[in-house]
Amino acid sequence: MAATRPAKRPARAAKPKGKSPARKAHAKPAARSAAKAMAKASLKRPKAAAKVIAKRPGKPAKPLTKAAAKAAAKGQAKAARPARRHVIVGAGTAGINAIRTLRQLGGTGEITLVAAERPYSRMVLPYYLDGSIGAAHAGTASPTHLERWGVKALFGRRAAGLDTAAGKLKLDNGDEVPYDDLLIATGSSAARPPVPGADAPGVHSFWTLADAEGLSRAIAPNSHVVMVGAGFIAFTILGGIMQRAGRVTIVEVASRILPRMIDDAGAALVGQWLQAKGVTLRAGTTLQSIQSKGGKPSLALAGGGTLDCDAVVMATGIRPNLEWLKGSPVQVNHGIVVDDRLRSSVPNVYAAGDVAEAKNLIGGAREVHAIEPTAMDHGRVVGANMAGKDVRYAGSLLMNIVSVAGLDIASFGAWDDPQAEVITGHAPARHAYRKYLFRGERLVGAILVSPNAETWSGNDLGMLKGLVQAGRPLGAWKAWLRQNPFDIKKPYLAGRTVSALLPHTTLGQASPSPRE
Amino acid sequence: MKALRIEPEKCTGCMRCELACSYMQTGAFQPAKAVIRVAALEAHTSYAPYTCVQCAEGWCMTACPVDAIAISPLGAKIVLADQCVGCKLCTIACPYGTMHFDVNTHKATKCNLCAGDPACAAACPTAAIVWTETDNRDWLGSFAAERSTFNLTGMAASK
Repeated sequence: MAATRPAKRPARAAKPKGKSPARKAHAKPAARSAAKAMAKASLKRPKAAAKVIAKRPGKPAKPLTKAAAKAAAKGQAKAARPARRHVIVGAGTAGINAIRTLRQLGGTGEITLVAAERPYSRMVLPYYLDGSIGAAHAGTASPTHLERWGVKALFGRRAAGLDTAAGKLKLDNGDEVPYDDLLIATGSSAARPPVPGADAPGVHSFWTLADAEGLSRAIAPNSHVVMVGAGFIAFTILGGIMQRAGRVTIVEVASRILPRMIDDAGAALVGQWLQAKGVTLRAGTTLQSIQSKGGKPSLALAGGGTLDCDAVVMATGIRPNLEWLKGSPVQVNHGIVVDDRLRSSVPNVYAAGDVAEAKNLIGGAREVHAIEPTAMDHGRVVGANMAGKDVRYAGSLLMNIVSVAGLDIASFGAWDDPQAEVITGHAPARHAYRKYLFRGERLVGAILVSPNAETWSGNDLGMLKGLVQAGRPLGAWKAWLRQNPFDIKKPYLAGRTVSALLPHTTLGQASPSPRE
Repeated sequence: MKALRIEPEKCTGCMRCELACSYMQTGAFQPAKAVIRVAALEAHTSYAPYTCVQCAEGWCMTACPVDAIAISPLGAKIVLADQCVGCKLCTIACPYGTMHFDVNTHKATKCNLCAGDPACAAACPTAAIVWTETDNRDWLGSFAAERSTFNLTGMAASK
């Protein structure tokens, strides 16, 4: 049985739902256990050689001619320039990709990595939960990698403040790390709604490796698991929970499932699929409180009902980790506002991934795309720029795919653009749905729902992405698609999409193997 | 560098490449598992074999969260099956639609150039697919556009 799949839900998902005012996120439980072997390295900058040379003893201070002084300064700078000090905050997808790219592109500066947790891929935790991989498989940059990249790693530490004038990062233990340039890639934390009992025993989040381990231990073959929230994160683990637990109930405050990933028609199809697999859906249901009944959680729902279970999973959104930046001049809107080179309002401070409000490929507006592929792209672009290249990011394409019990659900780009011209294909008997969103002759967004056993649906996924990414005018193929909505292959191939895409690279050069 | 040179003008739509590919990749003659797919154009009067172009970006490779896609000595982007968790991110990252998902193994699959002796090229009876030195990755060019006018005019006539 195919379980779940990738990418994170957009940060918009963390917005307050319903009538509760400004939801306060639950503090993320730190996975500090992983952080014992913390390198206690000297954070002092190596003596600035240029300074030393300027005070060279034994040479009388003698006025130089202007030209000679200039030449001497140049020579000294060349001979004695200290290594550039790069500081990366966060060891998630964006941070590790930045470090890798920095080294792959020849950057020779010092790298200090500050991270609360050891590096792992959050996106593969659902596979740990469903039992198809061990926890070690989720690890990304191993100690060997970090050593090979020459990274001074400060694990178990969190950023506590930023002094951009002095060029110093303040840590939660009071230490300071000086930098010449810095990447903020602190990611997101899981948010819980402010209902009484949200921290009761048996209530889990699913965000960190420690969360995954905790939830995994809590599920038994006869368990009844209640999932609060029916967004992307919930769906990434739904398949795994369906495999491992006896019963699954989904409680969602919105009127339908996946409210920020697909439209009503797609959601209805997914709902039917899940109900046929035995999942109980309770959309439009507000959780009021959680009590502990005989050591097990019992949910009180608005309208009077209760729901007893063995474990609750709070998949109620995420919020970017930005509180520590308060008081710094780094401009923050929904995320840290960055330019096309991913520099914040403070030019030697970059931001990437869930905390960055960066260019959207479709339309060019700055938005937070808290998804895995954007974190990778951002990290690579920052790494290249820190290595001295001048890379401008074309913009990230919002895309999500999740697969539950053999049903693929995916959306791309401006899938909810209210101004777009819409073409749909609906084949309920096949559990298949397509939605195409056009601006003029260009495809700007798409939704796909299809059983993954359908041979061509896999190709359709990539082709939809390619059409949105390439943005080629489809001419008469748009009208054709209206009559043949399940045949995206012909418009794709005939639209010369391959020719249009081939010259594109993110960093202006061929990508090296990640394992090089 | 050697690559697959595909000349769709020579393709007869016999689908031997799909059979050979699936056998080489999975040990079974099962075109649904092939990572080269023949697209039928113009109501089956033209065909275009279609597979991974081994693009410079490697969208699948740069999107993989567990570094399960690497570059082989042949220059092919290859899936390291023991690392792949089946998250499908590569299938939405590849803008060419040439990442596949094996519903039995729950792993991503793609063209790996058969370790230097591509089965599709060996099986092609008309040399529409040839394993040779070439820099051109844009096999398709305008072929599909030229062979699809019927689709559009047919659509227009029925209106």
